[in-house]
Formats: sequence, C-alpha cells, structure tokens
Amino acid sequence: MQILSFLFDKHIDKTVLAVAVAMSLLLLTRSEESKVRSARAVSDVLLYPIHSTEKYFSDIDELREENRKLRRLSASLYHEREKLLQFKDERNRLRRLAGLREDSFFDFLPCEVTARSSNRFHNSVTIDRGGSDGVRVGMAVVGYRGVVGRVTQVFGSTSRVLLLNNKSISVSCRDKRSRVVGILEWDKGNLFKLEFIGKEEDVIVGDTLLTSGLGELFPKGFPLGTVFHVTEERSGLYRNVGVVSMANLKTLEELFVVVGGRDWENTRIYEELEQSLKD
Amino acid sequence: MYLFRVIIGSLIVFILQVTMVPRMTVGGISPDLMVILLVILVKGKNAVFAVVVGFLLGFLQDLGNASYLGMNALAKSVVGYGIFQACGGLFPDNVIFRGLLILGASLVNDIIILTITTSVSLTDIFSWFFKFSVLSGISTAVIGVIVLEIINAATRRRTRTDGGF
Repeated sequence: MQILSFLFDKHIDKTVLAVAVAMSLLLLTRSEESKVRSARAVSDVLLYPIHSTEKYFSDIDELREENRKLRRLSASLYHEREKLLQFKDERNRLRRLAGLREDSFFDFLPCEVTARSSNRFHNSVTIDRGGSDGVRVGMAVVGYRGVVGRVTQVFGSTSRVLLLNNKSISVSCRDKRSRVVGILEWDKGNLFKLEFIGKEEDVIVGDTLLTSGLGELFPKGFPLGTVFHVTEERSGLYRNVGVVSMANLKTLEELFVVVGGRDWENTRIYEELEQSLKD
Repeated sequence: MYLFRVIIGSLIVFILQVTMVPRMTVGGISPDLMVILLVILVKGKNAVFAVVVGFLLGFLQDLGNASYLGMNALAKSVVGYGIFQACGGLFPDNVIFRGLLILGASLVNDIIILTITTSVSLTDIFSWFFKFSVLSGISTAVIGVIVLEIINAATRRRTRTDGGF
C-alpha cells in the first residue's frame, strides 16, 4: 500500500514516465512480425484519413506527370499539324495545277445528344444544336471515331439525327486499303453489311471503310467501320462482307455536325433536301 | 472540446509530417513537426499529461515504420517529460527560450532515436548527430518559434476581441 502511495501519489509523473518507457521498450523488443501485425491493425483503424490524404497527393503527382506528357504530345501534334497544313497547301497548289478542285478541311460544330428515339425501328437522336447554330438538313454527323448519321430535321435550337443503324440509310463507302467501293447497309446492332462487292474484289478482314463522298450525302474520308468477316455468296457473284461500326451507336454522347468543307460549302445539296422534304 | 481540438490538430500535424515534410527534406535535414506539436500541447500542463501525450504522438509516428514500433513512443515520452521539467509547468514568453527548448527537445529526441537505430554504436550516433540532427533541430526550432508566435498572436487577438465586447 505504501509502495502504491509512493508511486501514484508522490511520484506519479515518474511512475507514468517509467510505465511509458517500459511499454515502449516492450514494443521495441517484440518480434518483427508481431510489430508489423500490431502496427497494421492499429494504423488501419487510425490512419485511414491519412492514407487517403497521402494517396490524394500521390494522385496529384501522377496527374502532373500525365499533364507533362500531354503537353509534350500536344507540342508534337501542333508541330505535326503545322506540317500537315503545309502539305495541304502544297497539295492544293498541285491540284490546281492539275486542274482539280481545291480540297479543304471540314468544319465541325460540337453538340451533345439530348434525347434518343424510343422507336427501335427508327434509330435517331436529338442534338442540342439547331437552325440558329447553322445546322441544316442533310448535314453529316460524326463522333470521335467516325460517321454516326445525318441531320433529318432541324428546329430552332435542336435537330434530329438519323443514325446509320436504320434500314433506310445506305452509305457509299470505300475500302481504305484497296480503294474498292461498296454500299454499307445496317444489319443489326453495330453490325453492317457491305453490299455489291464482287467475288474478285479485294476486301479482307481488318480493312477500314471510309465514306467515299460519291453519294454526296456524306462527306468523303470519314471512317465508317472495320471489316470483320468475308464469305462467298451462294450465287457466287458477290461476297458477304460483315462490317462493325467504328462508333458505338448505342452510347453516343458528344457529336460533331459537319458544317463545312468541299462540296458542303455550296449549299445546293441542303436546299435540294429541304425542298424535297417540303414536297 | 479541448480534447477534440487536440486530436484534430495532432492528426493535421501528423498528416503534414507524413506528406509535406519528406518533400521539404534537403540533404537529409528536415524539421520534426511532432516535436513542435508536443511542445505546444505540453505547454502549461502537468508532467503526466506531457508523458502520455508524448507516448501517444510517438506511437502514432511509429505506426508509419513498424520495424521500430515503440522507438518514437519512447523518445517522445522522455522529451515530453523533459519539456515539463525544463519549464516547470510555466512557459516563458521569450523567443530565445522557446527556440532553445524546441532545439533541446529535438536533439534529445534524435539522440534516443539514433541510439536505437544504430544499436548503441557511439561512432554512428556522433557522426549522424552532427551530420543531420543539429541542423534538423535548428530547422525544427525556427519553425516551432514561428508557429508559437503565430499561436500567441492569435490568442492575444482573440482575448482582446472578447474583452472588447
């Protein structure tokens, strides 16, 4: 009793210090495995917010690094773009010399999908750009990866876009590698058929199809899809060519209306389309 | 309310110690914010509180390096007790005294840590002490004095404002 009184009444500070030192030494002399286990158990509970903060800071470092890489990439792309513009000028000069019409880049009007049609036989979307933004009936609409459809109705600030996955749409396209021309028609989902490909024509699995610009409905040179199977038809005249669309037509969000470019700068085609709609 | 403030403050300082201090390290020299926190917490309290807070802060620091679990707890308990003994429960409003107190606390803390990490190798203790600990202690003291002055100024301002109304 006297000892307790001596320890806890008269020398409480030294007793507490001795206990703290003893506990520390006890912790220090435990086995490595036991220390790690204890520390992990306690830290899992206590240090959760700290680990989160640490992760946040390391994420910032990763983002900085990514940003640095993107800046480098952007600089190199800018340089490449400048080079391409020079090539374009040179190409236009040569085309003029050869008596061909001048080429130009397309202008894109960014837009967002605001609604989808509920009719499964008439796949269309509504975009948040309309006549007031310069959108006209017949203009092609593209996504990040390729053509998705064309404008069929224009209102003040919205427009309706008929997607490629409709039986009523056919797109004239060209094989990027062999330059073979065919007609792309919707089959099901994101799958299309390439029609009128003779059995002698050079189309193989993996080929990329681009819009040919021949039908004047879609501008030339936009990616449409990739060939995923080629089989002979029973009649022996044509081949069955299956194509998967570049753009996922079921998950469209941000799109671009093609508002300018060769042939598309002259508004004849839009006027004709508008007139045909009125008729 | 005081306990809540202490816990939140300790966690913030610990987060800074774990995340920011390693980025501020120059040539192995970095301040020990936990020593500064210990000085601030122990200020005007009794010895038991000083030892317990020292032990808990040290233990918290040890969780980051389980191989030496108990090392910082030991060092900070002794430092907490030492701070109380040096001030005798009072905390003079003197910048030089505060600076020396934090410097001393930091050096004692480092000596204990070096003793354990070098397995009582006197040569290593002396070489590392003069190579890293002295400058780290000075940086800790400088930061500590600035922090204490800011806290003092804020406290004085709050007291004046409260008195004015």
